[in-house]
Amino acid sequence: MADARSSNGKSILVIGGGVAGLTTAIEAAEAGCQVILVEKSPFLGGRAVSFSLYFPKLCPPTCGFEINFRRIKNNPRITVLTQAELTSLTGAAGDYEATVKVAPRFVSEACTLCGDCAKACPVERPDDFNFGESKTKAAYLPHNMTYPAAYVIDRSVCPAGCKACVEACPYGAIDLNQGAQQKTFHVAAVVVATGWAPYDASKISNLGFGRFPNVVTNVMLERMAAVNGPTGGKILRPSDGKEPASIAFVQCAGSRDENHLPYCSSVCCSASLKHSTYIRSLYPDAQVTIFYIDVRTPGLLEDFRAKVATNGHLKLVKGKVGKIGEDPQTHDLWVTVEDVLAGRKTTQRFSLVVLATGMVPQTEGLPQGLPRDEFGFVTDGAPGFIGAGCVKRPEDVASSVRDATGAALKALQSAVRSAHHG
Amino acid sequence: MAETLLVEPDSAFINDVMASGGADLKKCFQCATCTSVCDLSEDGLTFPRRVMIAAQWGLKDKALADPGIWLCHNCGDCTVNCPRGAKPSNIMGVLRKEAIKAFSFPKIAGTMVSEAKYLAVLFLLPILIFGTIAAIELRHPLVRPYIYAEVFPASILEPLFYAVSALAVLGFAVGVTRFVRAMRAAGVEGRILPALAPTLVEIITHRRFMKCTANKDRYLGHLLTLCGFVGLAITGTSVGIGTMLDLMHTPLPFLSGWKLFANLSAGVVLVGTVLLIGDRMKSPEKWNDTTYFDGFFIVVLAGVVATGILSELLRVAQSAGLMYSVYFIHLVLIFSLFLYAPYSKFAHFVYRTVAMAAARDAQLKAGAVTTQSVNA
Repeated sequence: MADARSSNGKSILVIGGGVAGLTTAIEAAEAGCQVILVEKSPFLGGRAVSFSLYFPKLCPPTCGFEINFRRIKNNPRITVLTQAELTSLTGAAGDYEATVKVAPRFVSEACTLCGDCAKACPVERPDDFNFGESKTKAAYLPHNMTYPAAYVIDRSVCPAGCKACVEACPYGAIDLNQGAQQKTFHVAAVVVATGWAPYDASKISNLGFGRFPNVVTNVMLERMAAVNGPTGGKILRPSDGKEPASIAFVQCAGSRDENHLPYCSSVCCSASLKHSTYIRSLYPDAQVTIFYIDVRTPGLLEDFRAKVATNGHLKLVKGKVGKIGEDPQTHDLWVTVEDVLAGRKTTQRFSLVVLATGMVPQTEGLPQGLPRDEFGFVTDGAPGFIGAGCVKRPEDVASSVRDATGAALKALQSAVRSAHHG
Repeated sequence: MAETLLVEPDSAFINDVMASGGADLKKCFQCATCTSVCDLSEDGLTFPRRVMIAAQWGLKDKALADPGIWLCHNCGDCTVNCPRGAKPSNIMGVLRKEAIKAFSFPKIAGTMVSEAKYLAVLFLLPILIFGTIAAIELRHPLVRPYIYAEVFPASILEPLFYAVSALAVLGFAVGVTRFVRAMRAAGVEGRILPALAPTLVEIITHRRFMKCTANKDRYLGHLLTLCGFVGLAITGTSVGIGTMLDLMHTPLPFLSGWKLFANLSAGVVLVGTVLLIGDRMKSPEKWNDTTYFDGFFIVVLAGVVATGILSELLRVAQSAGLMYSVYFIHLVLIFSLFLYAPYSKFAHFVYRTVAMAAARDAQLKAGAVTTQSVNA
């Protein structure tokens, strides 16, 4: 049902609860605007909440998100809808009618995160938060920073007639008969902050992802390095769980490549440099080589590059990797590259290869006719639509926050204009 | 400090490469994917990236002296994987054509053979020569059984073809000398003669072709064409010397060993060239401006063999008008194949052999390392 206050034309709809969407929602709400924040997954925080550390300061995402979640909790102007998707949008800039479908969580706010439901649950599902590298029960907490802080039931894997979780919950918080809800809102503007997805590395057939177990992607490494990740913060070879002695980073795995993503994803160079610091602190003697076309660390990130590059066990080699093979016995990898500056072509053995895959804008389910550029990124231009964060261009967390603050101002202007004229 | 390199770009050369099939040259951003994916490119003499930048910068001497352009067998793996669509394998093909043209002697021959607008002139010369011979000989009535020597007597053809062969050998000798000098000037030190025997073994066994992935369909066609051609060259030369020394008399009987071997070789070449032409035809997107240059050679070669086989059959059929006409075309094509050999795609056989031998020797001397182990 439409909220009485949201029909006065001063509301805005924010699609996506990641860094950009959260920031937009909070900034706009703190400036006095009504905000409906719609998030597809059962938790806020998006991709960034899955990271181990942010570059260049190498601080964990925990502190920033804690503050933001508190700001949301304390702000009555923000309506947070998780497991929610925009199903229709009608009207025009200044006066849209948005219909949002909210899928059932099956767990109410009475949940205290005691975990008894998960203990009682008899079935498992692959944990997509860890890219399938671990499993959760069907009654699960997505991760230890989950906001809203409540368990989720994945009914798609529940055995027929099973009520184990309902019986186990001491607070009566679980209702397996909960249905989907449809909500309608009148909003002046829509902020699109649907973010990014990592490029599907199995499409880069020459680099062996999916065929060789020890070829992983940068986002998988990020989860391995995270203390709440599938390996408890250790970077290990998927084939045998051993610590890697030599690690190769393959930059531009898909990016700057017209066969895949023709654009530069902008964050992968800094991310790989950051990853080399993870490895250094875990395994000080491990050899790390970053194979690159150009090291793209613009602005202040150049200082980060200079600082990280002083590590004696880190080699930066100019030359894109075109071919990766595997030793079937050891599952070590053969990486073939032309070292452009040395003028040599070598095939070197590594125990782990990390593909620095790029960012793909997530625009599935967004209204048709939303202007996009040639690569699918959302562009400004449609009245009442404002893009924010990585759905607009590939960028890092800090840039997303700045971009989202700007988006909040634009959304506020739309809301104020419509209130004056409406 | 790095040494200073003063680049003096030959912009005419850049334009030439871009206009003749290398339009995407400037798209290359030197990422080196091409060299990485190429199974033929080995440490010590890597390509195509190194050659790509030389071409982009208009360093004509450096690009055309690089043995890498001949070590390339146009597998196309680089082009498939190139993130920029710069089509390195096409550029390598254009550079091979440019090299044949640049080292040609006389230069005018290199220009005329490489450009389609001179095609009519190329064929006009043999047409006039053989037309004149036929016109003179046909003043007498033909008598059965019809044999080709009646209209095109060996006493004229032999010295004519020796002269043509001598000119081709001269063209090759000067061209290769220029190429070797250019390689030396570019710092390639590999000796050629000591590495020649193993190189020829590598060529005849097609070991490098077998490594191709993207364009592997050419393997069989090229192998048959080369083997059949070698067979024809052996019989042609032997029979030529044999008749000159009066040890053999043409036409040879059908069941003679030479005749059987020659017919078998001709058949093999025909199948090979048809496969190669078919491979080009079935993917028109691969066509580019070197298609004419490459096509001239392969079509003339296929034509020589086809008209040769046809002439033999028509002689058996004794259909005078048709058999002399086909034989006339046969002679025109053979003449073109040999006289223009140093300036057409035919020359790749010689330049590639020299470059492969030099590269093999250089890499042996340098003890090139292709595999390094990092304590995994």
